[in-house]
Amino acid sequence: MILKGQKRKLPQEDLELADSGGPVWESQRQFVFSVSLNKYQRSQELPEPSLRRSVLIANTLRQMSLEGCREPPADMEVPEPPPPAGLLHREQECCPHTASAVDKAESCSAADHASCSSRESNFPMSVEEDEDWESADSDVSLSAAISSILTVLDSTIDGSSPTAPRSPLRSLENLSGSSEGGVAWVKPGVRGHSVSYQQQAEPKARDGGPGDVTVEDLFQDIDTCLLERDMGVLGLGGGHPTGEDLLRYLPPFSNLKCLPSFSSFSPLPAGFPPPAVPSSMSAPGQSREAFELDNLMEILVES
Amino acid sequence: FAGVAGGNDFQWCFSQVKGAIDEDVAEADIISTVEFNYSGELLATGDKGGRVVIFQHEQESKNRPHLRGEYNVYSTFQSHEPEFDYLKSLEIEEKINKIRWLPQQNAAHFLLSTNDKTIKLWKISERDKRAEGYNLKDEDGRVRDPFRITSLRVPVLMPMDLMVEASPRRIFANAHTYHINSISVNSDHETYLSADDLRINLWHLEITDRSFNIVDIKPANMEELTEVITAAECHPHQCNVFVYSSSKGTIRLCDMREAALCDRHSKFFEEPEDPSSRSFFSEIISSISDVKFSHSGRYMMTRDYLSVKVWDLNMENRPVETYQVHEYLRSKLCSLYENDCIFDKFECCWNGSDSAIMTGSYNNFFRMFDRNTRRDITLEASRESSKPRATLKPRKVSTGGKRKKDEISVDSLDFNKKILHTAWHPKDNVIAVAATNNLYIFQDKIN
Repeated sequence: MILKGQKRKLPQEDLELADSGGPVWESQRQFVFSVSLNKYQRSQELPEPSLRRSVLIANTLRQMSLEGCREPPADMEVPEPPPPAGLLHREQECCPHTASAVDKAESCSAADHASCSSRESNFPMSVEEDEDWESADSDVSLSAAISSILTVLDSTIDGSSPTAPRSPLRSLENLSGSSEGGVAWVKPGVRGHSVSYQQQAEPKARDGGPGDVTVEDLFQDIDTCLLERDMGVLGLGGGHPTGEDLLRYLPPFSNLKCLPSFSSFSPLPAGFPPPAVPSSMSAPGQSREAFELDNLMEILVES
Repeated sequence: FAGVAGGNDFQWCFSQVKGAIDEDVAEADIISTVEFNYSGELLATGDKGGRVVIFQHEQESKNRPHLRGEYNVYSTFQSHEPEFDYLKSLEIEEKINKIRWLPQQNAAHFLLSTNDKTIKLWKISERDKRAEGYNLKDEDGRVRDPFRITSLRVPVLMPMDLMVEASPRRIFANAHTYHINSISVNSDHETYLSADDLRINLWHLEITDRSFNIVDIKPANMEELTEVITAAECHPHQCNVFVYSSSKGTIRLCDMREAALCDRHSKFFEEPEDPSSRSFFSEIISSISDVKFSHSGRYMMTRDYLSVKVWDLNMENRPVETYQVHEYLRSKLCSLYENDCIFDKFECCWNGSDSAIMTGSYNNFFRMFDRNTRRDITLEASRESSKPRATLKPRKVSTGGKRKKDEISVDSLDFNKKILHTAWHPKDNVIAVAATNNLYIFQDKIN
């Protein structure tokens, strides 16, 4: 589009879905998908991406994934995807394809960033590799890619360090106690993403081991709004923090500020964490905290 | 209303422009909010650098009675500083997201200004007298030696050059996990609401250490988050009513008398989607960027990416009026999505009598719609048309193949020049338009 100083003629764009299912529509869909993926990836590099923007991009990705599955190719039937939890399970099966799909999406969209008209070449698929795999598997891979992105989006630790990618859709206080079937898939090599606070019905964490699950169980009971950030800082799953690091990054629990759904709290001097609000963690006392701290240190050192 | 023809139509003409003329705009100077106070005497702007500049309307000069007076700088102060959130290792931007004035109750003026996390109540007061002849201290302020004081004298108030002081009176902090997008003063003049992406809080102006959470749309499982709050406003007359808009193009009206937590709305406004115009970007362009009640309180206006809609509060299933702001962009949504312009949040405003509405667009264009005559006009805020009292020429964007003279083609629009913030004087036909780092003031030329 026209940015300052540039003049460019654009071909007529027709983005209506009247021709839904046709090749033009499909190419449009894949182009928009790759752009969305690229946007999402780049927004993750920001220290604090806009929640509204991230939600809109994620919704767009979901919509395209659903529409892609709703328009199966002639030669292969792909069932309509179930709601997000189902997508996550499907994505588990497609793990090997997901990373490549995402990478290809990134490289393709980055290369053709300025062009709307040449979106024929922006397929984030391995179209050129395997002809047989093309249509149906491309849909599956698309869905898998979206699912993986959405999982990472949803399961990232809040408040990771600026260097680690952060998802805006994780919560400071999302400490659901019950298993709900969400699957945490850990993208290899991604710092700060490897611990999920979504309960796992079946622990299928790709890159996780017993360590991650144990840490996660541990976090159920602790007020982790600060710990979440610190785990990201420490690069849990990606780095090898020492016990001293842990101690250094973990402030005394009494200083933790939790942001619960009720809103009574004390005012602060600027930038200073306030005294802890009465919450679930304050009652058991220091001994429990110390025990959990020891546990934490053990696990981190092991991992 | 504004029109090209003469007669009794108003004609908008340039009045003033504030801000630097440099081509290189410092990020901190970008205006992020504009707001007239209740009388229109004061005009406040906030910028990305956390500063607030208040302009005051000077009385008309006797020499030029046909022109309203000008707005000149009244006070400038640093409202918010960049902060660091140690818990999350994040910097909190000092950008002023919104300014809202309180109704004036005494000689001082009060306004609320907010960045992403903290709301501040500022008192702006004038000082034009100074006490002289203190008994216990010298003129330079040094305390006099008590043994040297042999007589009693009473200080006398002497006039001095007018000094306008801005002082923070209240700081409302630590109530928002997510970014604050709206603040709105209630008609009871005692409370106000603040809204972030997922929650809305109700404050008392006197109490800073607690607020009531009245709306919370955060799902228990953040995986299920598909919608955020984009704007909120209190009803102008009914202190129990407020509305909030969402990224899915819906507006919810809530009554605080019904329940402490207003998660269940009283009214739900949504226009059914037109299936013929559906695209990949339908949801994104339906996201509401601003919601404003009319002064009468009977209507509300919402701004989404391509249009402005006026809703009757008594009819939830569709708006009563829809105005296309820049429909020619509909075929360019893909590019606008690529360059992120599709996420721009335009504001909108009513005129004092609710007969006209105004909103911004790209290329420094802004649009006005007359609700009675259904006429609309596109004007431009530019330095080229900034001659004193020069009448603004209506602009037109050509959409077809043939471009007429004086028209500009869609492909030539400058998408870096966007008018996101506009304000209309509550009583007169004076408008303030923020164009990046410049504030343009236009007024009608009374024939």
